Amino acid sequence: MMRSNCSVEAEEKTMNNQILLQLGMTHDGLVDRRRFLQVTGAGLAAAGWLNAVGLSADDLKKRNAACILVWLGGGPSQFETWDPKPGTDNGGKTKAIATAAPGIKVAEHWPKMAELMKDCAIIRSMTSKEGNHERATYQLHTGRAPSGALKYPSIGSVVAQELGEPAAELPNFVSVGETVGPGFLGIHAAPFVVNSPGELPANIAMTVSKERMARRLALLKDQNAELSQAGAGEIAASQQGLYDQAARMVLSPKLKSFDLKNESDKNRDAYGRNSFGQGLLMARRLVESGVPFIEVRKGGWDNHGDIFKAVPQNAGQVDPALAQLIRDLKSRGLLETTLVICMGEFGRTPKVNNKAGRDHYPKAFSALVAGSGIKGGRAIGKTNDNGTEVADRPVSVPDLFQTFCKALKLNPATEMVTPQGRPIKIVDEGKPVNELFA
Amino acid sequence: MDRRKIGIRHIEWLAVFVLIVARSLSVAAQDKKDAPRDTELPAKKKQALTALRRELPPKSQYFSYGSSDLDAMLNVEFRKLGRTPGEPVSDAVFVRRVYLDLTGKLPSPTAVREFVADDDVKKRSKLIDRLLDSDDYARNWARYWRDVMLYNSTVGPKKIDGKALEDWLADQFKKDRGWDTIAAELVMADGKKMEERRDNFLLAQDGSATLMASETARVFMGINIQCAECHDHPFDQWKREQFHQMAAFFAKDKYHMPDAHDPAKKTEMKPKFLTGQAPNAKANLKGDDKRIAVAAYLIYDPKNYWFPRSYVNRVWNELFGDGFYKVDSLGPDGEVLYPAMVNRLAVAFRAMDFKPKWLFRTIMNSQSYQRETQTPASASDRFATLRPTRLRGTQVADIVEQTLGDVKAHDRIAREFSFDPSIPQEDIDGSIQQALLLMNNPQVQQRVSKVAGELAKIKSDDELVQQAYLRMLAREPTDADRGRAKAYFKKVGQRGEAAEDLIWMLVNSAEFTTKR
Repeated sequence: MMRSNCSVEAEEKTMNNQILLQLGMTHDGLVDRRRFLQVTGAGLAAAGWLNAVGLSADDLKKRNAACILVWLGGGPSQFETWDPKPGTDNGGKTKAIATAAPGIKVAEHWPKMAELMKDCAIIRSMTSKEGNHERATYQLHTGRAPSGALKYPSIGSVVAQELGEPAAELPNFVSVGETVGPGFLGIHAAPFVVNSPGELPANIAMTVSKERMARRLALLKDQNAELSQAGAGEIAASQQGLYDQAARMVLSPKLKSFDLKNESDKNRDAYGRNSFGQGLLMARRLVESGVPFIEVRKGGWDNHGDIFKAVPQNAGQVDPALAQLIRDLKSRGLLETTLVICMGEFGRTPKVNNKAGRDHYPKAFSALVAGSGIKGGRAIGKTNDNGTEVADRPVSVPDLFQTFCKALKLNPATEMVTPQGRPIKIVDEGKPVNELFA
Repeated sequence: MDRRKIGIRHIEWLAVFVLIVARSLSVAAQDKKDAPRDTELPAKKKQALTALRRELPPKSQYFSYGSSDLDAMLNVEFRKLGRTPGEPVSDAVFVRRVYLDLTGKLPSPTAVREFVADDDVKKRSKLIDRLLDSDDYARNWARYWRDVMLYNSTVGPKKIDGKALEDWLADQFKKDRGWDTIAAELVMADGKKMEERRDNFLLAQDGSATLMASETARVFMGINIQCAECHDHPFDQWKREQFHQMAAFFAKDKYHMPDAHDPAKKTEMKPKFLTGQAPNAKANLKGDDKRIAVAAYLIYDPKNYWFPRSYVNRVWNELFGDGFYKVDSLGPDGEVLYPAMVNRLAVAFRAMDFKPKWLFRTIMNSQSYQRETQTPASASDRFATLRPTRLRGTQVADIVEQTLGDVKAHDRIAREFSFDPSIPQEDIDGSIQQALLLMNNPQVQQRVSKVAGELAKIKSDDELVQQAYLRMLAREPTDADRGRAKAYFKKVGQRGEAAEDLIWMLVNSAEFTTKR
């Protein structure tokens, strides 16, 4: 294909403008949100929707809506969590226990969550096709199967961009452990990864005065602009964005949200004195400080063998911590505005294998949601008696992401723009599970 | 008749023949107790290697490939696209680029000045030669390949010695051993002892035949067949069966493919290489012998262009910031940019006995490599300029140490800035933690003050600024740089403090951690 230099220049110019535009908006907070939406052209649909619900984009950000994703990495077994099948061929050794919600039973390893089932809802009819960890993890974070060169953003990055203040002092997306990144949204929506929850992040304390740091940063900005002219605009812009964010963070009094010293011993104990439990406690504190998305990971669910030993061990940490999180959020009045999601990348095979384990099974699995308008005490969908198929009300991955949008009052048709200028909707397929809200 | 064709047709029985001969030989080296690091390759494997190398096409007909051929081929592509390649790079940018690409370190201020002042027309190619002979070259590329092989390994440090693998690779690169020999020794290794340095590639696969198969294909062929473990590849032609036939090579004895639906049901799979080659069924190969067969099909089957091409593509990807295709996830149906060109380069690389230094020389002496940087806007813009790239973790740690002295945070910096080298550069982002580390880390700050103190002894401001830029960014300050620094010094008033801020700014600048 022939392309004239002229059109190349025009294209480059458009790209540079977009980079500047994003920088202006996200790093300095100088361009207001509404103007940004108009300028990119993607804003029209979104702006219409915002008018319809009587919210301006700025109001949206002031709602204090937040989301905590509790990620059970490896693919937790639905039979040993929210869809037990005791007494059937595929049920294995796991027993079911009654919960506070009449008619809903969960696996015996979740006694504390069972007490809170009136505040939580279970989806038992999740279904997808992706049985590879990496691909399914990507899919359950972005709502899309991986394909082609375009990297979609994690739901955490989407929420960070849509609900986070661009000039917030704390990062808009905090993750305990590595996770799926911001894709085409870029560095401003990237997760701030914390590896030892409970402590202040490393190197957060400045070694010079505020004034001197500001002076240094101004000098740095000019130098980075120089590199842009030398053909490395993208790297320079992304680096500058990072330093703007880092500078806001080191100066922030909100940093104490990371530090759990001020929490009572009793509360810390209730969450569990382990990285996962303390991570969830930190998540609650960050929600209070206005961080809109926090992900906390707990791996160890890829139980190809000895599943009846492994799950009770893992649940021994997750059950009390998750229950305490929900209780804690509720008692502080935060559960109404905070969506809590607990899920993994897929479920596990109905048939127990010869190593007393279960293998990957995306065809029928479960997820748990609570808060932010979700009506608790209900189980959506059903699997058949063997757990091999979804028998009623299948929920696809896009359906699930539509549901997240509905709970967080995000318009799923909001267009996000790739650096190449392509508009991409937050979710473009599926329908929300409306029964969760009625 | 051309002996190449014989090689192709009979490579399967050849492999078996080699093994039979080798078995009858005494393999004394294997029996040695308390063997030192890098025990001799067992005689059997040595014999196999020698015999297999003879199967490669004779080299005379390809002998003439050089940097100008590379330029000519690329220019043809650009003409077809109506693309004008970028401007030639200045000496000052070139010298830093070549140092970073080959040694992962910066040139000293003296080296920069001398190089720029030198009026020898051959100075660029002489510099390339000199750096290729350095230990730093061998170390830098050993670290790169260590990351390629081990970055995603989940095996803990008690069972695998990454440093030992790196050391072994550095020795190979230093001696410029062929990539064929290096790869062969890695895949033929026993994978039993972490003390045996070359065993660590297979040790990183945790004894799993499926991982060994998929990692061998990924690292040495640039092919991602991982998905095919559980199902036929969704976008490519790889079938589940092919994956497990490949895995069968790495199982000690018989290998069984689990049924996709019923884990209790299993089918025995006979080893068959991805390219369709298979050992003679009668040979009934076991253990070591199967991995020798892998080396045969992987490296010495002249039809397997994947092997030399994936090496060429990786090196190119590091030098230009983009590959002809994504370095480790290509299937036969994947898209390759300028296939004729990369295939030709791969064939030439094989004809030159897979010598890594030959490839570096050929690429780096080309006009194409010696152009300015500019981030390509799309795939068709690639290679008209070089993409500016982020330095890898160990490189950042090294240059911090080189410019600021011992910060006592080398490993920490290396870890914080590390990334999987198989991810395209365009997808690599920085992190706030990286920024915080260079901004605030007390050890780094201490060294910033120390260095600034030394520089502040220089009488003239202009000379101070000049020394600071040469030291930190390996270049002279531009007029704009000088003007900015001068204004800053004036504004701050206190010279020592201003110098400290200047050094802080340079170590935190995007340019410091970028190759351009």
